[in-house]
Amino acid sequence: MSDHRLPVLKPEGNVPESPRIGGDENTIPVLATRLEESIGFFEKNLSDALGWARKNSIFQYPFVTACCGMEYMSAMAGRYDIARFGAEFPRFSPRQADLLMIVGTINVKQTPVLKRVYDQMTEPKWVMAFGVCASSGGFYDNYATVQGADRVIPVDVYVPGCPPRPEQVLDGLKILQDKIQNQRHRAMSKEVAPDVRLDVAAQRRLQKNRSFLGKLLGK
Amino acid sequence: MSQALIDLVREKFPEAVVSSHSHRGDEVVTVKRENLVEVIGFLRNDPQTDLKLLRQIAGVDLLTYKTEMTGGAALASIEAPAYEMQRKPRVEPRYYVSYNLYSITKHHSLRVRVELRSDDVKVPSITSLYRTADWWERYVYDMFGVEFTGHPNLTRILMYPEFQGFPLRKDYPVRKRQPLVPELDFPDLVRGPGPGPGGAGVPMSQTHVGRQNVDPSTYD
Repeated sequence: MSDHRLPVLKPEGNVPESPRIGGDENTIPVLATRLEESIGFFEKNLSDALGWARKNSIFQYPFVTACCGMEYMSAMAGRYDIARFGAEFPRFSPRQADLLMIVGTINVKQTPVLKRVYDQMTEPKWVMAFGVCASSGGFYDNYATVQGADRVIPVDVYVPGCPPRPEQVLDGLKILQDKIQNQRHRAMSKEVAPDVRLDVAAQRRLQKNRSFLGKLLGK
Repeated sequence: MSQALIDLVREKFPEAVVSSHSHRGDEVVTVKRENLVEVIGFLRNDPQTDLKLLRQIAGVDLLTYKTEMTGGAALASIEAPAYEMQRKPRVEPRYYVSYNLYSITKHHSLRVRVELRSDDVKVPSITSLYRTADWWERYVYDMFGVEFTGHPNLTRILMYPEFQGFPLRKDYPVRKRQPLVPELDFPDLVRGPGPGPGGAGVPMSQTHVGRQNVDPSTYD
């Protein structure tokens, strides 16, 4: 294990039973407690800051397939103005988006595209099922329609309605903001960021300027 | 008004017309399959009729229609076909294809209908007469499995190429699903069926023969 790699922060949900820092039995308990305390303090503040930053700057990718697009436009436009909640910025590349809004009916022929779009989004990413068709298939109980987008990709927030009113969309967005704000991140000692090939000079520089967290964890 | 159209067709092709029907300006003439291209070519090119616009080609599957329509009981079951075919006698000829023609200059329309038996679901293509017939015939082939002989490119137009069967045929199971990517199965009564054992069975991407000619790396 080379020395120049940094520890990563991961959302808590992805790591079941993550080992705490300083789990060595020979460590003096008081010191371990101090370390855990400080790291916990760090984790909490960092999580809060990350959550606050993320929830107020959601870049959305509108996957608009059907008539719900009208209500999406309405929610975007001046009267309802989703920009008040920081989600006014549609990115038409999934690689730059945080929130995938599935606006409309998903039929079977579209599922490979939808799955590919979701896979192209970078972490952290969230998904909103906009309208009853994206949530459960709606009244399209037929050979061509997927019975809810969550049969294919995980969905965070379901906004019902056919189509949903913009108030419902904003409500769903605020629920998602709460979810983002309440996410907890945990400092990991075991897991490290993927190895990036650097030249020798960059490695030295990196070792010289280790991050605060890296020093804290003794990595 | 345009009973005259039916009379004209009867006069020109006395042996081709099987039956005709006229009700409040809605004229239908049923012709034999052998004479279809001939009749439609005449209707298109003759200055009296001048039916230059092909508005639609529709397919119809009767199955057991003439006796009785059923519904509710079949919907509750995933496996049962839409119509209980055991109890109801089938109708022959089972299918018909309907050509909806319109004249922009004369403002009259005529429907030409061809009846098809279920053991020989073939119709001569009229793509040589109407260019728009290309996609309409692909559509009828996609939904009903009617084979249009002489069509330049008779492939599916709406459904994906892996799809098995013809979804608007009345013996296609109502709740059958053929997913392209593996789907989660929810034991949910409110939603429609997923890819469970009663639905589409195993997800198509894993077992189905329909994927043989498709590059698997393009999905999932």
